[in-house]
Amino acid sequence: MIFLIAWRNLWRNRSRSFIIIASVAFGMWSGLFIGALYFGMGKARMRIAIDHEVSHIQIHHPRFSDDQEAKYSMDSDSLLAVLESQPDIKSFSLRSVATGMLATTSGSRGIQVNGVDPTAEQTTRNLAGFVQQGDYLNIEQRNRVLVSTKLAEKLKLDIGNKIVVTLLDTAGAITSGAFRICGLYQSENAPQDELNIFVVKTDLDRLIGSNGRVHEAAVLLQKDDVLNQVCNRIKQVFPHLKVERWQDLSPETDLLLSSLNTYMLIFMIIILLALSFGIINTMLMAVLERTRELGVLMAVGMNKWRIFGMVVSETVMLAIIGAPVGLALVWLTVQWLSRTGIDVSVLMGEVMRDFGFATVIYPELPWHNVAQTFGLVVLAAVLAAVFPAWKALRLRPVDAIRG
Amino acid sequence: MNTVIDAHNISKVYNPDTIPVYAVNNVHLHIERGEFTAIVGPSGSGKTTLLNMLGGLDAPTEGYVEINGVNITKMPANKLIDFRLHNIGFVFQAFNLIPVLTARENVEFIMLLQKRPREERDHRVRELFAAVGLVDKLNVRPAQLSGGQQQRVAVARALASKPQFILADEPTANLDSHSAATLLDIMEKLNRDENMTFLFSTHDQRVIDRARRVITLVDGRIASDTAPTSTKIHA
Repeated sequence: MIFLIAWRNLWRNRSRSFIIIASVAFGMWSGLFIGALYFGMGKARMRIAIDHEVSHIQIHHPRFSDDQEAKYSMDSDSLLAVLESQPDIKSFSLRSVATGMLATTSGSRGIQVNGVDPTAEQTTRNLAGFVQQGDYLNIEQRNRVLVSTKLAEKLKLDIGNKIVVTLLDTAGAITSGAFRICGLYQSENAPQDELNIFVVKTDLDRLIGSNGRVHEAAVLLQKDDVLNQVCNRIKQVFPHLKVERWQDLSPETDLLLSSLNTYMLIFMIIILLALSFGIINTMLMAVLERTRELGVLMAVGMNKWRIFGMVVSETVMLAIIGAPVGLALVWLTVQWLSRTGIDVSVLMGEVMRDFGFATVIYPELPWHNVAQTFGLVVLAAVLAAVFPAWKALRLRPVDAIRG
Repeated sequence: MNTVIDAHNISKVYNPDTIPVYAVNNVHLHIERGEFTAIVGPSGSGKTTLLNMLGGLDAPTEGYVEINGVNITKMPANKLIDFRLHNIGFVFQAFNLIPVLTARENVEFIMLLQKRPREERDHRVRELFAAVGLVDKLNVRPAQLSGGQQQRVAVARALASKPQFILADEPTANLDSHSAATLLDIMEKLNRDENMTFLFSTHDQRVIDRARRVITLVDGRIASDTAPTSTKIHA
């Protein structure tokens, strides 16, 4: 009967109840929508990191990561044999990598030269897809180089220009080579674009004398969830090599993903705090309007805990109605925006690229957080009802009936 | 006869530390089972305050009240509410039915608080609505009932818990003559047939005329405690 009274009380002042329901729905919508944006951005960042930057797994000589010296290389044949035998591997790219200086008439810059097999690189990280102008690397054409549009802009380079790179070869001696720009690329990660240039592996090998050996093997898997299994298998075969997962190679992405839930929780708490004050105000009005009635209930035998429960039930009912409405609205919003995306390139495109984020955000509803958000909304409603309910508890029947 | 209400020299003092105002002053009162008693007096004489203290809605500043031998004056709030639920029925001047509940639910609600089984509740609701003559208004909300009908539902609600006695504060004050007469008929019949104790606060002559005992309060003190025929009140 207490729930029946609470339920019917909700509809005594419909507009007031609708305002609370709308507030709860909006709170739920905004909390989950911000979560969906963050989650979408986080997942997109993860996909960029895996699909376009570091792949699922990278294998290096244990000292290469620290010193970046060409002499710390790996045997390509054994790597090839093992990687080709793994059914969970979608593609892999064996690279030569050297750090050095790029010099032009406009200036010089520290760079990382990536010697790649154009076909493997395409299947592993879709490098060709990033070419904005000119052509992708071609194994038939010697000493061609892909530079980023950002680097080209800074060093006033264009397609067809010649650049000179100075590197340390495998023996530690300084060596230089000239390359002609065949194309300009742009990925989602501006800082990486500024650092990396791409040449055909055989051209770089010739320059640094690596003799077909490789410095880096990037492995793309069929599925994300087999990462640890494949990683462990590779480690077993090559115990002397450094085998790293994308989380190790891009720790900032891993941190972003692992902190998403915390960010969402903080946002939700802020939103719910604001919502709570609205609920407190409205429920307090509802209690004060019904002072006489509450007095009568106490006089005829409804104890204080039941009164307390009735007031709290009213608020919880409003929250339970409002929360699914908010959930439905956020689902519709996310369904729509996950198809169209939110293009933020005009507002903050460069900023997004500077941090390695896509400029079109596709929100994705974090279903694993929905129950938590729902629980938080109900908890906020309960907590917000405590003060009005406490006010009701403090009523003396004799005073309340007198009004 | 046995004593249902025993008020031992109860007083209610407001502003005890500054200028004390005695709403009720040293009232000693016994109400026996089956009484049909009116507490009368002019406005401000302390009728309602006395009734509130007898019903455990207000605590006396001095003295104490016993209901069926149980001292309710120092009883903790929730225990007192529970005690009221099982022992005292209230009828208020302004009816005070719960507007969101139907007439039936207003009555059944009390029995639900007492955790009575469904069959017993159904039986008692039918019995009570027959007694107050509102069998056809079971599923009507208070706003759709006349004042007299609402007060009859309030009487049914007061009786629902099978209390020791019923306290009725100015029950006829808001009723027309016909409704007041009907209500008093019902209460008299309940008193006669079921030996239900009624204690009214009133300055309505129609109630006083039917009461078998009339206690007159003046300035918070009992001025007289007599048969009704000798009492005429001018508010």
